[in-house]
Amino acid sequence: MPPALDLLNLPDADVVALAQQGRDPAFRELIRRYERPVFSLIFRMVRDRELSEDLAQDTFIKVLNHIDSYRSEFKLSSWLFKIANNVAIDHLRRRHLDTVSMDGSPHAMTADAVEATSFDVAVQQESALDELEAKELGSAIERAIASLRPEYRSCIMLRHVEGRSYEEIATTLDLPLGTVKTYIHRARHELRRALDHVREGS
Amino acid sequence: MNHRHLLPEEVDLLLDEEVGFGVSPLKAHVRECSDCRARVDEAKLVVTALERLPHFSPRHSFADQVMAQVPVFVPWHAAARDYARQWLPQSKPARVWVVAAATSVASVITLAVLWLATQTDALVLASGMVGDRFNGVIAQLGRDVIGTLFGDQVFAAVQRAGTIGIALALVGFLAAAGGTLAGLRALAAASSRRRG
Repeated sequence: MPPALDLLNLPDADVVALAQQGRDPAFRELIRRYERPVFSLIFRMVRDRELSEDLAQDTFIKVLNHIDSYRSEFKLSSWLFKIANNVAIDHLRRRHLDTVSMDGSPHAMTADAVEATSFDVAVQQESALDELEAKELGSAIERAIASLRPEYRSCIMLRHVEGRSYEEIATTLDLPLGTVKTYIHRARHELRRALDHVREGS
Repeated sequence: MNHRHLLPEEVDLLLDEEVGFGVSPLKAHVRECSDCRARVDEAKLVVTALERLPHFSPRHSFADQVMAQVPVFVPWHAAARDYARQWLPQSKPARVWVVAAATSVASVITLAVLWLATQTDALVLASGMVGDRFNGVIAQLGRDVIGTLFGDQVFAAVQRAGTIGIALALVGFLAAAGGTLAGLRALAAASSRRRG
């Protein structure tokens, strides 16, 4: 038996090194550290608890089964979020659960293009009855997040729930930095408009 | 006062709490312009609401379910290190003493082996003595066993027969022992069947 390991106080890189040595407690420590952020990201992407558990499991299984190929110059959390996002986006693409942006195509680069691909917010918003149910800002913003495009959703979650920098998000999601900034700007704008409608509705 | 209202990207700069040469004038403008201040405050409300969002927890068995599908392999060098650590004391001073003692013993043995390797004649003589002693012990053991079991006359006969005689006697003994064991087993099985 190896001596007891004080895993709680070790940085991620050290815990990964122990996992690479086949230490079962190190694997479990990595799961303990990231199960909630990963599960939350996926849950807010797919909005289904059972499914989110399955996809979060897939994420960890993929990462932990390839822990030997982990490169220390890349943050473990970024790797996990990258896989989690890919798993969730793949699922949404397969199931055609993609939501429609209120603010036009994310690839629209000019005002005309945004206009041409925009939808009337009134058409996209949920029914008045549903809006009344969103009494607290927390639940209202959850609903607003659910109405975002998946690309916007993952960017805004990583930015404001996980506190990642724009550069980290760009690396994690394999997107150009400018695209990340655009997505986050549009996501904030859409959320603000959605919350305005909630306030006006109530 | 700068009368130009903030652009959306400039509101983002303030939301992200960027610092730098271009941000100070924006902050100064917001202090003086109530419209822009309202826009920034409204945008901050969204950011604050996002930052207060809780993490959700998967079910308690999540880690077990993941680990059930993650085979954990211990590399040979980690296994060897763990095995070695089993034999070492936990405290550092004691470990230092053990390592020092083990190093000393290993050094003495290594030096002795190296010295012996240089003494070829002594090595041949020593190995011959060890071989003779071993043969003597085996022969005495055979004499005692055969003499006790079958008597000295049988031993004398086997000795006269030489190697072939000893081999035949051994085969005969093994055959008799095997036959006896098989017979006893058959008897036990028959007895057991009768009881059943």
